[in-house]
Amino acid sequence: MIAIVVGTHGNLSKELLKASEMIIGQQHNVEAVTFQLGESIEDLTLRYEETLSNLDTSEGVLFIVDLFGGSPYNAASLVAIKQEKMDIITGVNLPMLIKAFVSRKTSSLEEVIKASEISGREGIKQFKENFSLVEEEEL
Amino acid sequence: MEIALCRIDDRLIHGQIVTMWSKECSCNRILVVNDEVYNDTIRKTLLIQIAPPGIKAHVLSIEKALEAYNNPNYNDFKALLLVTNPSDVLKLIEGGLNIKTVNIGGMSFKEGKKQITPAVYVDEKDIEALKKLHERGIELELRRVSTDIKVDMMTKI
Repeated sequence: MIAIVVGTHGNLSKELLKASEMIIGQQHNVEAVTFQLGESIEDLTLRYEETLSNLDTSEGVLFIVDLFGGSPYNAASLVAIKQEKMDIITGVNLPMLIKAFVSRKTSSLEEVIKASEISGREGIKQFKENFSLVEEEEL
Repeated sequence: MEIALCRIDDRLIHGQIVTMWSKECSCNRILVVNDEVYNDTIRKTLLIQIAPPGIKAHVLSIEKALEAYNNPNYNDFKALLLVTNPSDVLKLIEGGLNIKTVNIGGMSFKEGKKQITPAVYVDEKDIEALKKLHERGIELELRRVSTDIKVDMMTKI
């Protein structure tokens, strides 16, 4: 099973992981990495590397980070660039993370990334626009 | 109509249902059965709106649900049935609904209810209905998400 590392500014990654487990139950082979004020890219890169040593990375690693170009992304890119079976997806949200957890059991890294990206995008809905389209079908 | 899953969950359609249970039981319909919600147009519309892609959701009263259950026009329904409490399940079964298992997922805290698990609270009325369901030979399994291990509700009350 592909390993997942969630990396974000602040404690968001830890809480996102907890939130997704509320919905789909406990997950394995996953770590949440936080990035705090005052830390350097080197600190973070080192923490990612330590984290990876605790995971089963044999089937690949997916970093799921918050912000394209942010430190959690930049540090992950330093790690992932050296490895073929590692990639990064940005803009983490709960639909994306849940999809990654569910799909990684049966799919390749490329497929997990694609599916997660689609779920992340499709999870964005506007309430009032959606609501006006709802039609009830009588039974 | 086939009942793919009957679940007690007073949040009705929510994250666990949309992302997991609806797929797990491969239903093609979600039937929310609750007299109160049936008569509340806003809640009804809000629930229908969040049905996962490809699955239609309906909100029915207990009476309407039994009518639909017996209507041959709906023979191809594979339904995920959501109810908020065990008394409503009992009413459905007394009305002819044929199920062997009830999944108990979430019953939220209200004044006077005692805790069974972090997600399930019951009062005397609930316990009485659960006992009646048990006497009818119906399996009552506690599981918040489908990957949890089933726990027999009767060992908890």
